[in-house]
Parts: sequence; structure tokens; C-alpha cells
Amino acid sequence: MKIMSVDDEPDMELLIRQKFRKKIKNGEYEFVFAENGLEALTKLIEHPDIGIILTDINMPEMDGLTLLTKINELKNPTLKTVIVSAYGDMENIRTAMNRGAFDFATKPIDFEDLEITIKKTIEQVEVLQKAEKDSKQLSAIRHDLKIAKQIQQSILPKKFPPFPNRKDFEIYASMNSAKSVGGDFYDFFLINDEMLGFVIADVSDKGIPAAIYMAVSRTIIRAAALTGLSPEKCMEYSNDLLSKENISDMFVTVFYGILNTKTGEIIYSNAGHNPPCILKKDGTVIETELTHDIVLGIMEDAKFKTKNISLKPGDTIYLYTDGVTEAMNKKHELYSEKRLEKELIKLKDSSPQEIINGIISSVEEFTKGAEQSDDITMLTLKYDGN
Amino acid sequence: MEIIEKKEDSFVILNLKGRLDTTNYGELEKKIFELLEKKENNIIIDCEKLDYISSSGLRILLMGLKKFKANKGKFVLCDLQENIKEIFEISGFSSIFDIYESQDDALKA
Repeated sequence: MKIMSVDDEPDMELLIRQKFRKKIKNGEYEFVFAENGLEALTKLIEHPDIGIILTDINMPEMDGLTLLTKINELKNPTLKTVIVSAYGDMENIRTAMNRGAFDFATKPIDFEDLEITIKKTIEQVEVLQKAEKDSKQLSAIRHDLKIAKQIQQSILPKKFPPFPNRKDFEIYASMNSAKSVGGDFYDFFLINDEMLGFVIADVSDKGIPAAIYMAVSRTIIRAAALTGLSPEKCMEYSNDLLSKENISDMFVTVFYGILNTKTGEIIYSNAGHNPPCILKKDGTVIETELTHDIVLGIMEDAKFKTKNISLKPGDTIYLYTDGVTEAMNKKHELYSEKRLEKELIKLKDSSPQEIINGIISSVEEFTKGAEQSDDITMLTLKYDGN
Repeated sequence: MEIIEKKEDSFVILNLKGRLDTTNYGELEKKIFELLEKKENNIIIDCEKLDYISSSGLRILLMGLKKFKANKGKFVLCDLQENIKEIFEISGFSSIFDIYESQDDALKA
């Protein structure tokens, strides 16, 4: 601990060096000396790591009370001042305490007592120094999280409409994470001129671990899908890779579909994801059949199935994560699939973007005042035909 | 969520009550590690009063299954409410867990 003694008595330095020689020798205390308030301020700039100031009150140039005021202006919580003044000077000592001095000792100095006072002050300063360090680390982590969020958002396709020349389908998607980074993702890509691949997925956790897992899953699935694999083969390939590397029993639920933009037929695999809905042009809503496949990442060599469903021009497939249906209000009620279906019916004849925005506001209204507990992700794909 | 622990024959029965989700899965995780440390071998998770399970909850059950199976033990579930059954169906977890209709069935197995 670096300590500064401020006193105009020339033998103070000698006295302190002698009384605390052991502690100085073993490096516990390091002393800096100043003869008045002004010099103390200069020394403080030279030694910003000073934690404790022992100061006299009556000194030339700048007295101890003025020094105390100046130190207060520095607003440094890890710098504590101990007043060392004559016993008869109690009025000034009281003033100093009221101005924020940490403690006081009286002259003639009882060095044993002063040592106790210094020890107590050091404890306090160290607690505050640790708190300050933790707080700095915390803000560094916050900063990292902010960057992580930006990176995560940047790997999701964000430009809408993504294929402005295509008039045969419209697509829109959004992801709102509950924490600064999330475990949900969506993706879509043209495999060739006629085949549009689209994905929605939910990692079994939140925060940084989920975000890393999400980035890996998304990359594996996209790479496999772009080679033109069928949904089941794409799931099998991705599952094997994810299962081999899995160390924390994390998994990801994935729905992967391929729309044939000529015929409106969708072939899909559903690896443990809640089934997407088809919003028909006439306003009816049906759930896509499950393929009863297991989530990705926990069982190597698992087999997957492909099913198909047809879209007619004007039909929309709506994919979502359970953050939608399991959004909870203050009364602990879930938004539920029933509400979702009702809302979707209301949104018939809407564009993919209007559907997603409509559901978002409906969920927001439902959960008003409650904290968002899960990521909310949706993707809508409307087939317009030729 | 509440966890009520009971011992019956060679089984430890954990009754889960309420919601198992991202806010409290750590409690179940801790309990499972405790039982592993005590060298318990056969676990029944009774879900009669479990109202909701999130994917973080599923992950902890999966972890339990793997750890106990690795010790040649049992880690089975019973008495799932309809909505929980549905989650197990959708996620494909029903194919990797042994799931029984009742605690009695689980004890006999």
C-alpha cells in the first residue's frame, strides 16, 4: 500500500521511516512525503496509486482542510485521508471529519495506535479497490457482450427483401434475444434457382455458450444444405458433427425445409422443433406434421425422416421458436398455441413482414410488464406462385 | 420449482413440482450431482406435478441420463402430464428416455 504523509515538521519523515522500517523493508508499506498541501497534490499526480494520505492540519502554503477539499474534488473512492493533528485541535479535526476524512490520530503520535488506524484504512481501501476492479471487468464484459451480439446479428440474413428479383415467394424473419446474445437462429438461402432452403432453430440454453453453439450449428447446417442434401441427410450429417463435439450436453432443435419455387412443394425434416404452421390463403391454419426426429447434437448416427407439404399460391408457412408460445405474462400464463393460431387467422392476407410484426405486438401486449424470458424468433415464407 | 426427494428400495425418487426452466435448472443439476456423489444408482424422476419444462430443463435430464447410464444405473421418468409428454414427443426425447405411466410401473421395471 502506498501511503503519503503530509506534514511540515521536518523530522516526521525520519520518525515514520524508523517506526515503520520493518513494514517498509518487507514492502508492505511504501511512503511518499510532502511538506504541505500543495506539494501533496503534486505528489498525488506523480503517484496515482497512493491509497492513504496522513495529513497534518496546520501547514504553510496549503493547510490540511483545504487539501481535504481538493482531494474530495478528485472523487476517488479508493483514496482515504487520515488526519494527524494536535489533540487540542479538536474543532478542526471535527471539521475535517465532516469534510470526509476517513479517521484521525492525535499528536504526539502514538505509533501503535496509528498503525491500527492505517491497517483499518488499508482494509477499507482494498475492499474498494477490488470493487473498482470488478466493476471495470464487468463493464469490459458488457462491452464484449455488445460486440458478440453484433456478430451474432450479423450472421443472420438481415436484408429484406433478400432476393428482390424473385416474385414467386416472399420471406421475412426476426430474432429478439432475451439476453444480450441468444441461442435461436433462422437462416435461408437459394440452393439453386428453384430450391429455397429455410431454417429455424433453438439451442437448449441462453447466453454466451448458446451463442457459440448457435454459430457452429448454423454454419454446419448451411454448409451441408448448400451442397443440395435432402433435409433428412442434411440433419443426419449436421447431427453427427454436432454430437461428436458435444461436451456440455447442449442440443439444438431444428426445422429445415426446402421450397420448390416452381411447384410450391416443401420437403422438410423436423429435428425436435415445435411444428411450423401453414396459414392458408382462406384463413385456415394447420400444423405441419412432426417427423418425430430427435434434436441435433446428442445422439450420433441418429436417423431422420423427410416429409412434405404443399403450398398453394397465397399460402404462408410460419416458423417460430417456443419463445413465442411460451411467452409468459405477469399472471404466469403462457401465450400458448391457441392464441397464436387466433392471431395468425386475423393476419391472413398479410405480408410475411406484417405477420411477424403482428405477432410481435400481440405477444408484447400479452406479456406487458413481464420480463422476456426466452428468445423470440420467427420466419415467414409466403408462396406466390408463378 | 420444488424437488422432493424420497428413497424406495434401491431407487431415489425425485418429485418435481412446478416449472423446470432456465431460471432454476441449476437446482436439479446440483441435486443430480449430489446423488452421483452418494453413489446412488437408480433414479426415478416423477413428473406428476411438473407443469412445464423448457429446453434447459431437458438438457439437465439428458445430462442425468448420460451420467447414470455411464455408471450402469437407471434414470427413468414417470407420470408425465400431457403437455410435457408432447414436448418429449416433439423433441424426440421420448425415444431415448424410459418413460413409465406411474411410479409403481417405474419401480417394477
